[in-house]
Amino acid sequence: MLLVDGPSDPAHAIVVREIGERISRIVTKDVGPTGTFGDIVDSHQLVHYIAGTRDSNENLTRRILLLAESRALTNPLVRERVIRNVLARYVVYDRSVRSRSGRRQVIPHFLLNDVVRYWRTMVSDYASKMWERQRSGWGIRNVKLRFSRKLLFVWGLLAAFSGELFAPPELHRVENDDEFYLRLAELIRSQTDVMPLELLARVVLETDDNDIADAIFTSYDRFLGVLADRDSRMKLEGVRFEESIDEPTYASLREASQRFRDGITRLFFDAHPKLPKLIRDFGVF
Amino acid sequence: MTPIGFSTGALAKGDFDRGLALQRDVDAIDAVELSALRDHELLPLIDAVPGLDLARFTYISFHAPGKLQALDEETAFELLRRLPDQWPIVAHPDILRTPSLWRQLGERLCIENMDHRKSSGRTVDELRQLFESFPEATFCLDLGHARQIDPTMISAMLMLREFGQRLRQLHVSDVGPRGEHLPLGATARHAFSQLAAYVQDDYPLIIESVVPAEQIERELDTVRSVFDVVHACT
Repeated sequence: MLLVDGPSDPAHAIVVREIGERISRIVTKDVGPTGTFGDIVDSHQLVHYIAGTRDSNENLTRRILLLAESRALTNPLVRERVIRNVLARYVVYDRSVRSRSGRRQVIPHFLLNDVVRYWRTMVSDYASKMWERQRSGWGIRNVKLRFSRKLLFVWGLLAAFSGELFAPPELHRVENDDEFYLRLAELIRSQTDVMPLELLARVVLETDDNDIADAIFTSYDRFLGVLADRDSRMKLEGVRFEESIDEPTYASLREASQRFRDGITRLFFDAHPKLPKLIRDFGVF
Repeated sequence: MTPIGFSTGALAKGDFDRGLALQRDVDAIDAVELSALRDHELLPLIDAVPGLDLARFTYISFHAPGKLQALDEETAFELLRRLPDQWPIVAHPDILRTPSLWRQLGERLCIENMDHRKSSGRTVDELRQLFESFPEATFCLDLGHARQIDPTMISAMLMLREFGQRLRQLHVSDVGPRGEHLPLGATARHAFSQLAAYVQDDYPLIIESVVPAEQIERELDTVRSVFDVVHACT
């Protein structure tokens, strides 16, 4: 997407077409029929329409993916600026009532809830697309949900927990509330430069549990391998719902996804020194 | 009391005499930045310095050319070195092509953070690299530039935290999308007032807002209100 963070310019339309043409020379696959990508995106909506009646699935998707896995092809300061503005909404301008103990809220609930909302929206939209498209292309969507979409959710949880997981000691020595929340937002922003798989790996390394690492990364590697293989990918795109369990590519990925899920579950609920408490305290209620 | 005043270039582009004259009539002003932002302005201004009436200003800085086109780097450096030792020389990173030359200025060299049109000096990381090359240099925090790069002012706050010991003065103005210096608007006032709490001591405020003569006092009042300056008007 062409992210515009400034005055409108008719030339933006020309630029976005040119970008599309150049990308299509390298990546032949279309960006998808929903129009979420491959277009001009105005930062105003990303920053100002967070939740509320003016937010949309499209805007939510763009916003979370901007945070989780975007990279700037040019002018990285624009991406950084918009991300900082979005995070300011989540972290700096939305604060909890301070507790009597004076302890600050380290987990930004607004961000966390939006991340959870995005995950649940993706899962619900999967069912919606199954219905609307009469299961056309369901196999690849199903597999992505099991791996890459779930990984986005994991990234979002880890980013929202940054204040507990990745905070340098000086964050908690800050005396002024405003500075604390600015620094917390910046800490989360720094995670937007870390690819989701890498951020997950950093957290897995804190467990010293090789089985978890193997369950997560071997299965994810299998997923990436299938998607990178043209024939296997075509099988996934064409597999019929009724025959899926007997289709070897889909069936093997389904099995791998169960290992992936198991690894993630053990990481979050059992093995990590901090995540089980965080997920219990903030994950659901 | 915080010294406060305008850049001569903001009030009268390319006309330092008028930029000074306009400020001499304003009681509240006691700081000034002599601006030679275009390099063809440098020699005439430096030649004129000994004869300028600067008595009313308790703080004076000098803005070096933003680009070198008519002058070569060494000539510009030699001209700037003729300035009084106590005046900070505010410089954009672009002109500091030969670090060994500019390091001779020591703490007189006052590096300014840049807007998004430039390729260095814009962020904390980029400034850190610069200060590694110029370890004695001081720092001019341009609030408008910092806000253009990061409207949340997180970066500006981090600049103050990391380079606060070097801070010499602040540049104050709104900055438009194409880098133009404008009077402070509502959102800039909000952003700057958030940051004011992190500015220790009374660092000089050099206003770069381009305003006509009749709006000088209004802009002064606006800037002072943002920084809550308790300034004795004589």
